[in-house]
Amino acid sequence: MAECIECGAEVETSEDAEEGEIIECPECGVELEIISVEPLELALAPEEEEDWGE
Amino acid sequence: MPDPVALLRGALEIYSPSGREEEIGRYLCEQMRAFGLRAELDGAGNAVGARGSGPRQIVMLGHMDTVPGFIPVLEEEGRLYGRGAVDAKAALATFIAATSRLPERADTTYLIVCAVEEECPTSRGARYALDRYRPSCAIIGEPSGAGSITLGYKGRLALGYRVEQPCVHSAVDMGRAAERAVDFWLAVKEMTAEYAAPSRFERLDAALMSFQTGGDGLTEHAALEISLRLPPGFEVARLRKRLEALHPDASLEVRESLPAFKAEKNTPLVRAFLQAIRSRGLRPTFKVKTGTADMNLLGPAWGCPIVAYGPGDSSLDHTPHEHLDLAEYQLAIDILADVLSRL
Repeated sequence: MAECIECGAEVETSEDAEEGEIIECPECGVELEIISVEPLELALAPEEEEDWGE
Repeated sequence: MPDPVALLRGALEIYSPSGREEEIGRYLCEQMRAFGLRAELDGAGNAVGARGSGPRQIVMLGHMDTVPGFIPVLEEEGRLYGRGAVDAKAALATFIAATSRLPERADTTYLIVCAVEEECPTSRGARYALDRYRPSCAIIGEPSGAGSITLGYKGRLALGYRVEQPCVHSAVDMGRAAERAVDFWLAVKEMTAEYAAPSRFERLDAALMSFQTGGDGLTEHAALEISLRLPPGFEVARLRKRLEALHPDASLEVRESLPAFKAEKNTPLVRAFLQAIRSRGLRPTFKVKTGTADMNLLGPAWGCPIVAYGPGDSSLDHTPHEHLDLAEYQLAIDILADVLSRL
């Protein structure tokens, strides 16, 4: 269990959670990235930016 | 191990617009061998490098052709100038240098495909590779910036419109072929407005690429080349039907039709990139591109975790100032080697 860094709600993670995994806060819907499993630590997931080029 | 900057500099010195990739293909094969990979040209002229011989394939595919316009190769203040410095020889050189650092693994084959003809509608190199590999994950070589990964590209619909009719006197109140083509283009623009969205990635954009008129005194014609950038989930067949109904007597040919593609972000591949980027004190970002790339073709066909990655600022793509920051290039090599070792 961890706290959403955006709204403070409790966020559950699975037992096999992995670093780099992206989960959604059930309260505010923000995407969070698991940046550490032991201890469990969350950060805001990378935002999607628009860019040009092909 | 050979110098990655010398590898890239040599690649930039070889002018390789689409359709003229023989010399760059031979050079990249030689370089891949020097970097410890097996390498050969395939049936399409792609330069293909391999390391390891296990059943699990990790495919890195980028293009070795460039848009036309040679840029003299110059290294100045930590920047390397040249055509392809960003789009996309730097990504290929990153693949080669990063893969050369990995130990041989019995369960995995790392494959680097330096593809022909991406900067033209054929995508011949990627189409050739499509059925030949079954990767467990794939990385497309395009500039994302060392600290970012690209998840998606808009689709593209390229159309050729042509109307032909008997000549009429300009004093006669009847639409000339040129006027009818202009009317068609304005109708296309009006239709795109129906697909408005807050972001460019999610909206339909249209560009008029060329407009030609002519005649022989008896008949006259007008021709348009139109490029539409498609958002995810866009129904091409419905739009095509509406456009064909506008001028039933004109011809409307589809030159290219590639749907938009957006990769899943909760995959082992994305996780490996996020960890590798964060471990260097950087804050990763995801990018979605308003252009189109080989990922649109290969992503749906391969159905595996996929991203596009490569150093460089894509706002320099296709410009006369194309250059790469060499510190960013070294960082991208470090990050990619780290990613590959985590997979």
